[in-house]
Amino acid sequence: MSSEPRYFEDFHIGQRFAFGHYEVTKAEIIAFAKEFDPQPHHLDEEAAKHSMLGGLSASGWHICAMTMRIVVDGVFGKAESRGGAGVEDCRWLKPVRPSDVLRVEAEILELTPHPRKPLGFARMQWNVFNQREQVAMMINTPIFARRDGP
Amino acid sequence: MSVRYFEDIAIGTKQVLGSYTFTEDAIMDFARKYDPQPFHIDREAAARSFYGGIIASGWHTIAVFMKLAVASRESAPADQRRAAAGVSPGFENLLWHKPVRPGMTLTYSTCVLETVELKSRPEWGLVKTRIEARDADGTLIMSFTGKGFVQRRPRK
Repeated sequence: MSSEPRYFEDFHIGQRFAFGHYEVTKAEIIAFAKEFDPQPHHLDEEAAKHSMLGGLSASGWHICAMTMRIVVDGVFGKAESRGGAGVEDCRWLKPVRPSDVLRVEAEILELTPHPRKPLGFARMQWNVFNQREQVAMMINTPIFARRDGP
Repeated sequence: MSVRYFEDIAIGTKQVLGSYTFTEDAIMDFARKYDPQPFHIDREAAARSFYGGIIASGWHTIAVFMKLAVASRESAPADQRRAAAGVSPGFENLLWHKPVRPGMTLTYSTCVLETVELKSRPEWGLVKTRIEARDADGTLIMSFTGKGFVQRRPRK
C-alpha cells in the first residue's frame, strides 16, 4: 500500500490503496433519501421489508456519495486532484444497511498521460466493502491527476 | 390502461423530468458532507484552482437527477405511472462534461435506450435509459446510462 502519492508520476499500474471506515447510520440513510431519493425502501423500515431490497437500505446515490467521502478523506484529499471525468461502470451489488461499516479498496488499472497538458488519467477500480467483507459496490472510474514538473 | 409495466415501455420514449437551480449554499452543503475538495467548499481555494471558482460535486449533480426522477414519477397521472420500480443494479458511461457553477439551472431528461427481459428474474425487466442534464443554453453538462428494474405485467 502506498502513502500519499500526489502527482501522476507517483502512480503505477497495479498500485493499490485501502482507506476508510465509514459508519452508516439509519438517520443518515433517511436524511439523504428525504433530500435526493425519497422512495419507501430508503425511508421506511416497514415498507422496505416488502421491497426488492428486503429491508431499509441506503440509496445507491448515497453509497456513491459516502464512497466519495471515504476516497477524499483518504489519499486523494492530499493529491493534486482535478476531480473526475466520469464513471465507466458502477454496480450496486449488495444493499447498504444501517450500522454497516464501509471501506474502499482501490486499484490502478491504467495510466495515460495527457498528450499536451500537464495532466494524466488514472483509470481505477474502487471496491466498496462492508464489514461482512462483501463488495457492496464496484466503481470503475478515470480520475485526473496533475503531472509533476515545471 | 392502468399503471405502466415493463411491456408498456417503448424504446425512444423521451421525458423531461424537471429543472433544478444549484445555489452556492446547496453546493457547499452537499460537498462538506460527501466531497470536501477545496474547489467545492472554499471560495478562495476554488478561485485559485483549475476551475477558477466553486463548482458542484459531480455526485451532487447526479443525486439531483434521482430527486427529480422520483418527484416526476409521483406527480405523473396514475395511468402513466410505472409499476413498482426504483431498484437499480447500477449505471454506466457517466460523464461530467462541464462544471456546474452556483446559480446554474439544469434541466434533466431521459430517453429509453433498451429493454431487456431477465431470465433470472421473470417478474422483472431491465430498462436502460440515457439521462442528460443540460444548462439553460441547452449545453450538455452531464450524461449517463441508467438501469432500472421495472415490474412485468402480471400473467393471468
